[in-house]
Amino acid sequence: MTRTNQSETPAVLIEAMSKSYGSFKVLRDINLRVPRGEKVVVCGPSGSGKSTMIRCINRLEQHDEGRISVLGTELNDDVARIDEIRREVGMVFQHFNLFPHMTVLENCVLAPTLVRRTPRADAEAIAMRYLEKVRIPEQALKYPGQLSGGQQQRVAIARALCMQPEILLFDEPTSALDPEMINEVLDVMVTLASEGITMICVTHEMGFARRVADRVIFMDGGEIVEEGPPETFFVAPSSERTKKFLSQVLRH
Amino acid sequence: MMARQPAAGDRLSNLRKRFFPTPLQAALSLASLALLVTLAWKIVDWAILSAVFTAEGGPAACKAAEGACWSVIANRWRIIMFGLYPYDEQWRSALACLVVVAMIVLSCLPAFWTGKRIAAVWIVGVALFYGLMKGGVFGLRYIGEEAWGGLALTLFIFVSTCFIGFPLSIVLALLRRSELPWISRVTGLIIDSVRSLPLISILFAFAVVVPFMLPGWLQGDKLYRVIVGSALFFAAYQAEIVRGGMQGVAHGQEEAAKALGIGYWHRVSRILLPQAMRNALPATINQFVISFKETSLVIVVGFFEILASGNAAYGTGEWTFAYVEVYAFIALIYFVFVYSLSRYGAFLERRMAVGAR
Repeated sequence: MTRTNQSETPAVLIEAMSKSYGSFKVLRDINLRVPRGEKVVVCGPSGSGKSTMIRCINRLEQHDEGRISVLGTELNDDVARIDEIRREVGMVFQHFNLFPHMTVLENCVLAPTLVRRTPRADAEAIAMRYLEKVRIPEQALKYPGQLSGGQQQRVAIARALCMQPEILLFDEPTSALDPEMINEVLDVMVTLASEGITMICVTHEMGFARRVADRVIFMDGGEIVEEGPPETFFVAPSSERTKKFLSQVLRH
Repeated sequence: MMARQPAAGDRLSNLRKRFFPTPLQAALSLASLALLVTLAWKIVDWAILSAVFTAEGGPAACKAAEGACWSVIANRWRIIMFGLYPYDEQWRSALACLVVVAMIVLSCLPAFWTGKRIAAVWIVGVALFYGLMKGGVFGLRYIGEEAWGGLALTLFIFVSTCFIGFPLSIVLALLRRSELPWISRVTGLIIDSVRSLPLISILFAFAVVVPFMLPGWLQGDKLYRVIVGSALFFAAYQAEIVRGGMQGVAHGQEEAAKALGIGYWHRVSRILLPQAMRNALPATINQFVISFKETSLVIVVGFFEILASGNAAYGTGEWTFAYVEVYAFIALIYFVFVYSLSRYGAFLERRMAVGAR
């Protein structure tokens, strides 16, 4: 693959994607193109399908119709191909999902040594670099249960970064945190955003969206209702549903 | 600390408060104390003070005594420990027991929990055990499995049951969780069927019925068929314990591992099983303890494990009166093994609690 070719293939390309749980349609006709390096914030009321959509990108959920391509590779039932894509797509979860039986450092080193076959010493050096980046290198030898929620989420970000992915998915990363810990996580995410990694972030933090997003997407009822750069999205939303949602989220 | 040291008077008043607050409770406390003291005295008197310890004199020396006749153990311990194993070769059986105990102890030490070390322990251990018990090498007389007995046989059946049954239980638990419905249903059917049958009937089937169904070269010795049967029984129960442990692992763990690109086998071995086994540990130790004691059921298919050997030890006319002493001795042996197992379980629980909130 040549360099020009690589920058032309979008990081994520979703075409006419739909998904249902039984007779309930969670996602209908989603079309989304995320070029490399773009920061996308996805918002919408609960049950709008936003989490399901980003979970389809690394196939934690399976889509029923349409196509998803990640970095030019189409997602299908091929397990080897799914693992290949997951290596390049990091994910940060609402409930952190750190491995409780391993230290912070082991959490960070596990996937690079198993999946990328990085030598242990190199993997540890990389892990320490990212733990410094999320500002908790001194916790490396503790277990997740000994850390605060904000610290755990920062470890989870470092763990995802250790695979050196091209794309990072955030699934409501601050929703399970106590209010005083939200900013320490958002600060780390803002730093990351300035470094060129592709980010797709489901969040209700509209301040973060204003500062960081290249594009904000509003979903409701399993559809993308509206999208646009933050300056127009927040100032002049076009649909009624968006206006109603924003008035509820931005009230205080 | 020093200041909190209760004075003697303090302790006495505590005692009074707890056991003698009212006349009725005081009476009950005294009655219970009297009962306990009498019981303890009876046991000490029977087991030690009035007991006969010498091996000389045989059963006749015991007839006169009031207390326990420990001379039955002194006279017959070799039958209890080694069963039908030829008398002159019993040192081999004793060494084999030590080999098995050493194998168990080493496998239990965290320092040996690497693939190479554990494999080395087991390969060397099994080779030594066979060399000693079966012979036929290094000038040792050949002694077939049908002559094995006593403690060595009990330990051998227990260890092989766990060695085959434990990995099998993990495989069954994983299969039962399979996303393919026909795999999970068939596995469920196997587990539930085996659990529905009594162990005795399974041992009978493997010892007596299976030879009619298998070609000769596949039958193996009766001992190994019985071990396979008991391992299957162990695995069916343990599989459900492991599955319960797996259900206690948060769903997000699997998702996080998937999202990192970690493949199925590493997800199972590094993420799922370590957490599932921690959840399942108390029930697992329970299962091991039960299995140790259930080895005594092989008596029904004609094996002289330690309990059956004990029966034989007092069953010869002259010692028939001394069965209590023999059973007490065997109970002590069971106790040593099972109690160590329980303490080891408690040690593991403490060790695994590391990092848990």
